[in-house]
Amino acid sequence: MAFANSDGPATGELAGLRAVKLLIAGGFGVGKTTMVGAVSEIAPLRTEERLSDIGASVDDLTGVEGKTTTTVALDFGRITINPQVVLYLFGTPGQDRFWFMWKELSVGALGAVVLADTRRLEDCFGSVDFFESRGIPFVVGVNCFDGADVYDEDEVRAALDIGDHVPVRLCDVRDRDSAKLVLVSLLEHAMRVALTTGGHAGA
Amino acid sequence: MTRDDGERWFEEDPGPLVRPFAVTRGRAGAHLQDLDIITLVVAVRPAADAATLDREYGEILRMCQRRPLSVAEIAANLDLLVAAVKVLISDLIDSGHLIFRSPPPPADGRPDLKLLQAVLDGVRKL
Repeated sequence: MAFANSDGPATGELAGLRAVKLLIAGGFGVGKTTMVGAVSEIAPLRTEERLSDIGASVDDLTGVEGKTTTTVALDFGRITINPQVVLYLFGTPGQDRFWFMWKELSVGALGAVVLADTRRLEDCFGSVDFFESRGIPFVVGVNCFDGADVYDEDEVRAALDIGDHVPVRLCDVRDRDSAKLVLVSLLEHAMRVALTTGGHAGA
Repeated sequence: MTRDDGERWFEEDPGPLVRPFAVTRGRAGAHLQDLDIITLVVAVRPAADAATLDREYGEILRMCQRRPLSVAEIAANLDLLVAAVKVLISDLIDSGHLIFRSPPPPADGRPDLKLLQAVLDGVRKL
């Protein structure tokens, strides 16, 4: 497998190391950062991406110095899987206007969790469409908020119009074990997809 | 504009606001190195070299001494935009202070089943 590596005396430290990522998508306030925090070995960190930058190939910013910079926050956590593999979890804003950002983030992602709130299921239609159209394995995690109507998994599946092969899991993302089970479900699904599609990205 | 006006302009206190790309001297995008948000970098020059670098470069060199960090973590630690940090990291790679390892390009095609299995095993053990 080809890697972009640079040479140097300490290449060995990096040579056996892989970083991989999973995305946690969903509408505002659905619990993305909470889920990251529940399973991450570090307190969730926040980075910001500039809205106008993503995917653009701009050589310099001459003439735009005075422009107001609009940024979007990206919360993420880390799980050291083993000495060779580090997993990063990115909570990504689910609103349509942030899709440009997903394009970059989703490149090479092992899969995605679409977090849903049954009071606002429509908030995750866009995420479902995005991952379906790009062939990125995803599962739907239904975050069961206190007081939310409890639907069963099939009702959510029907409401979201997703296929039987896409796992839907009821969960409480504040709970580490519950959040973990959603991730396990996603990775098992990604394995199945990889095996049945012959493993082509985007298939 | 007269010469005097020009000088006065430069003498003004720029204030506490540092525009996002001031640290990259206005450069953005078109990264010299192809860096992903989870590209890992590690220092190959000692922390003492930080003294010879501008502040942000020095901070990156120091934080990457002991273990590899992702672009995302460096951006979060510095409280700078990811795109700006990519430019700084590219410079440090070019100058021989850092080495990097990016994830394989998606064109590689087949997902790595062994890698998926390793991640699954690791998450199960959480």
